[in-house]
Amino acid sequence: MTSFAPPRERSPLAGAATALALAGLVGAGLWAARRPQPRPQPGSALPVETARQPAARRARQGGMLLAASAAIDGATEHYRGGFHRWEMYLGPAASIGALAASAMQAAMPRPLREGLLLTAAGVGLAGHAFHARNILDRPGGVCWSNLFYAAPIGAPGSVALAGLAGLAATMLERREPEMPHRRGRWIAIGTVAGLLGTTAEVALLHFRGAYHNPAMYIPVTLPPIAALTLGAAAARPSPTRLRLAHRMLGATAMMGLVGTAFHAWGVHRNMGGWRNWQQNLLVAPPLPAPPGFTGVALVGLAAIDLLEASE
Amino acid sequence: MISQGSEIRAKDGRAPDVFSRDGWVAMRQYREAEEVDVAVIGTGAGGGVVAAKLAEAGLSVVAFDAGAFYRPLADFASDEREQDKLYWTDDRISGGDDAIEMGSNNSGRAIGGSTVHFQMVALRFRPEWFQARSRLGYGRDWPVDWREMWRCYDEVEDALKIAGPVTYPWGPKRGRYPYRQHELNASAQVLARGAEAMGVDWSPCPISTVSAPRGKSPPCVYRGFCKIGCSTNAKQSILNTYIPRALAAGAEVRDLAMVGRIETGSDGRATGVHYHRDGEWRFQKARRVVVAGYSIETPRLLLNSSSPSHPQGLANAEGLVGTELMVHSNHAVWGVMEDEIRWYKGPPSMAVCEHWNYDDDKDFHGGYAFMSQGPLPTDFATSMVKNLGVFGMELRRRMALYNHMAGLKIVGEVMPTPANRVELSEETDALGLPLPRITFRFGENDRKLSDHALRFMRTMHEAAGARDIFETAGSAHLMGGCRMGFSAADGVVDGAGRAFSCPNLWIADGSVMPTGGGVNPSITIMANATRIAGHMIGAIARGEG
Ligand SMILES: Cc1cc2nc3c(=O)[nH]c(=O)nc-3n(C[C@H](O)[C@H](O)[C@H](O)COP(=O)(O)OP(=O)(O)OC[C@H]3O[C@@H](n4cnc5c(N)ncnc54)[C@H](O)[C@@H]3O)c2cc1C
Ligand code: SF4
Repeated sequence: MTSFAPPRERSPLAGAATALALAGLVGAGLWAARRPQPRPQPGSALPVETARQPAARRARQGGMLLAASAAIDGATEHYRGGFHRWEMYLGPAASIGALAASAMQAAMPRPLREGLLLTAAGVGLAGHAFHARNILDRPGGVCWSNLFYAAPIGAPGSVALAGLAGLAATMLERREPEMPHRRGRWIAIGTVAGLLGTTAEVALLHFRGAYHNPAMYIPVTLPPIAALTLGAAAARPSPTRLRLAHRMLGATAMMGLVGTAFHAWGVHRNMGGWRNWQQNLLVAPPLPAPPGFTGVALVGLAAIDLLEASE
Repeated sequence: MISQGSEIRAKDGRAPDVFSRDGWVAMRQYREAEEVDVAVIGTGAGGGVVAAKLAEAGLSVVAFDAGAFYRPLADFASDEREQDKLYWTDDRISGGDDAIEMGSNNSGRAIGGSTVHFQMVALRFRPEWFQARSRLGYGRDWPVDWREMWRCYDEVEDALKIAGPVTYPWGPKRGRYPYRQHELNASAQVLARGAEAMGVDWSPCPISTVSAPRGKSPPCVYRGFCKIGCSTNAKQSILNTYIPRALAAGAEVRDLAMVGRIETGSDGRATGVHYHRDGEWRFQKARRVVVAGYSIETPRLLLNSSSPSHPQGLANAEGLVGTELMVHSNHAVWGVMEDEIRWYKGPPSMAVCEHWNYDDDKDFHGGYAFMSQGPLPTDFATSMVKNLGVFGMELRRRMALYNHMAGLKIVGEVMPTPANRVELSEETDALGLPLPRITFRFGENDRKLSDHALRFMRTMHEAAGARDIFETAGSAHLMGGCRMGFSAADGVVDGAGRAFSCPNLWIADGSVMPTGGGVNPSITIMANATRIAGHMIGAIARGEG
C-alpha cells in the first residue's frame, strides 16, 4: 500500500473553514456598516459639512474594496491565462495603483492619487475593448460559449469602478461650494450604473453555473433592487426613500461579503475541495469577486450621506 | 489485495456507495425463492433506468449484471490498460465481410453498463427518424410516437443534468439543457473554425458530465479520461445516477452475476432466471423479466433460453431474434495543426456538426453527425497501426505529433439488414454458455454515406488549416437485434417493449432499436427505457402485466 491519501469528497475541515469565514465576514460586515458618525447635533457645524467627510471616507473604502477585489481577481484570472500577453499585467497593476491611491490618502500627493485613479478608470474601459476582441477572435464570435468562457466582458468594469470610486472620494475631500445634493446625485448615478453592470456580469456567470444553488439568485435580485431604491432616492429624495435605499445598500454590502463565504463553499465542491486549493482557487467561483458589490454599495452609501445632509 | 472487479460487493444488505472511496449504502435484499415482481438483466443505459423506475413505482426488483460494482473515486486509474476491466472482452466470434471489432468500442461490463466508459455525447434522434420508412423512405418505422420520446428525453436529460448549449441549431425547439455547455477545448475549436469556413452550423456538444457541482458530483476537471471511466464522478453515468436511485427505492443489485438462461413454464411465461455468481449456478424466481444486456448478449441469452414452449429460443417464434444488428460507421479524418491542440484535454467530443442529419439533399439514405476528437495515446496509436499499418519509427514519428493532432469522426447511420445478425455458435465459454457468433457487412448505402462523410470532413479539415490529412475507418455502438415492431411478424417486441410471444418478458436496451439514427444511441436507449418502464408500470397497475 502507498501512503498517498487522495482528496476526499467532503472534508470536515472545509466545512469548518467555511463556517468560520462566514462568521468573520458577517462580523466584518456589521462593523463596516455601523454608522461612522453620530447624527449632526443642532448648533454644531453645518450638516452638509458634517456629511462630507464620512461620505468621502465611505467612497474611499468602497474604492479600496473594489480595487482590492479587481486586483486579486484579475491577477488570479490572468495568472490562469498564463499572462500570455503583456497587456494582461495592466488590469491588476492599475488596480493596485488605485488601491494605493485610495489607501494612502494622507501620504500621497493628490495629483499622483488622481493620476493613478484616472489611469485605473482608463485601463478598465480599455479592458472591455481587449476582452471584446478576445471574444470576437474566437469561433462563434458573440455567442454563449464565448460570453461564458472567453475573457469576461464585464470584469474590467471593476477596475474602472475602483478608479471612479476613488476619484469620487478625492472630489468629496475637497471643500467646494458646489451643492452636496448635486454631488450626491452624481455619485448615486454612478452607483446605480455600477450595481447594474456588476449584476449583469454575475447574472451571466451564475447562468453559466445553471443557478445550481438557489442562493445564486440573491446577487442578481438584491443589487438591482438596491439600485432601484437608490435611483428613486436620488431623483426625489425623501426621508423614507433615503432610509429604504440605505437599508438596501447596506444589505447589498453585506451580501458581497457573505458571497465570498458562498464562493469558499463552491471551492470545496470542486474535485478535491480545499485540499486541492491550488487548482480549485482558479476554477471555482472566484473568492475576491463578491466584495466588489460591497465596494459599490459603500459608494452608494456615501451618496446617501450627501443626499441626507442636503435634505 | 483482491483485484478490483473480481470481488462481489453488493451483498450482506449493502452496496458500494459510488460517491465514496470505500463507503456503503444500504441495500434491500430478496430471497431467491421469493418471487420478485421483476428481474432485470443488465444494468446499463436500458436496464439501469428500468430498474430505478420500476423500484420507484413500488415494485420489488432484482437487477443482475455480469460486471463489477465500482467506486469510481477509488477504482478508476488514469491508465488505459488498467481500465480495460470495464469492457466486455469475453470471447465472441465475429465474422462477415466487415467483421465488427468487439470490446472497447462497443461493449461494457459493469454495474452501469457501457455508460461507465461512454463518451457522454447526448444527442437526440431527429424526430422524422422514428418514421424513417414512411417519411424518409428507408429503414423502418418505430412503433413509437416521437413526441412521447421527446418527453422522455426531457426526463432523462434532467436526470443526467446534461450540460448542453443554450440554443441547439438543429431540430424542433426544445427546452433548455439542465446545465450549461462546457468550455470548448482546442480540438472542438478546430471543428468550429472549419464549419464556419464552410458555412455550416456547429454547436457545443451536449454531454453527460456536469459543468457545475451537482450533489456529490464535482464539475468536470477536463482531464479527458472519460472513455476509460471518469474517476471524479463528474460524468453522469447510470452508475452514479440511476443505480443509486434504484437502491434508494429498494431494488437489489447483484454484481458479478451472469444470467445464462431465462426459465419458462409450460404456459410459455417466464418464471425466473438462472444466473452464475460466486462460483455456482443459482435461480431467482420472478413474475416478470426485463432483458437489457445490449445487442449481442440480449439475443444470445434469448436464443440460449429455448424450452419446450419456446423451441427456437425465447421470444423467437418468428425467427427475428438476433437479426438486423446495426453499428454506427465511425470513419474519421485526422490532420496535423500548426498550433498545439492537446486534444486529450477535456471530454473527447466537445463540438458537433449535425448538418447531414437534417439536410436531406444527399445521395444516400440516413444521416451522420460528426464530432471533434480527443483519443488517448494508446487508443490513437492502435488505430494508426490498424488503419495505416504504420509501425516502428514511422509510428513514433506520427505519435510525436500527438499534441498537434485534430480529428473529426462520424457517427453514421447504418441500414438495418437481416443478414447482419447474432447467432449461437457451437463453441462455449468457461461457464458452458454458447458463444455468440456475429456476422456483419456494410451495405452499399452505408459505403456511400461514409464516403460522403470522409469527403466532407476532409474539406472541413483543410478549411480549418490541417495538413498531412489521413483517414481511418471503423465502427462504434450496437443497435438492434431484437427490434420493436408493429406485429409479431415485424418485431420481437411491441412498442411497449413487451415480447410478442412471451407476455411477461420485456426488452429495454439498445437491441430494440429498429433503426440506428445518425447520433450516439445511449440517450435514446435511456429515453426509450423510460417509456417502456412507464408502459410496464401502467400495464401492471391495470393487471395486464
Ligand atoms: C467506448 C464507448 C463510447 C461510447 N460513447 C457513447 C456516447 O458518447 N454517447 C452515446 O450515446 N453512446 C455512447 N456509447 C454507446 C452506449 O454506451 C451504449 O449504446 C449504451 O450504453 C447501451 O445501453 P444498453 O443498456 O443497451 O447496454 P449496456 O449499457 O452495455 O448495458 C448492458 C449491461 O448488461 C450486462 N449484461 C449483458 N449480458 C448479461 C447477462 N447475460 N447477465 C448479466 N448481465 C449481463 C453487461 O455487463 C452490461 O453491464 C459508447 C459506447 C462505448 C463502448
Ligand atoms: S474530463 Fe470530465 S468527464 Fe471526463 S473523465 Fe475527466 S472529469 Fe470525468
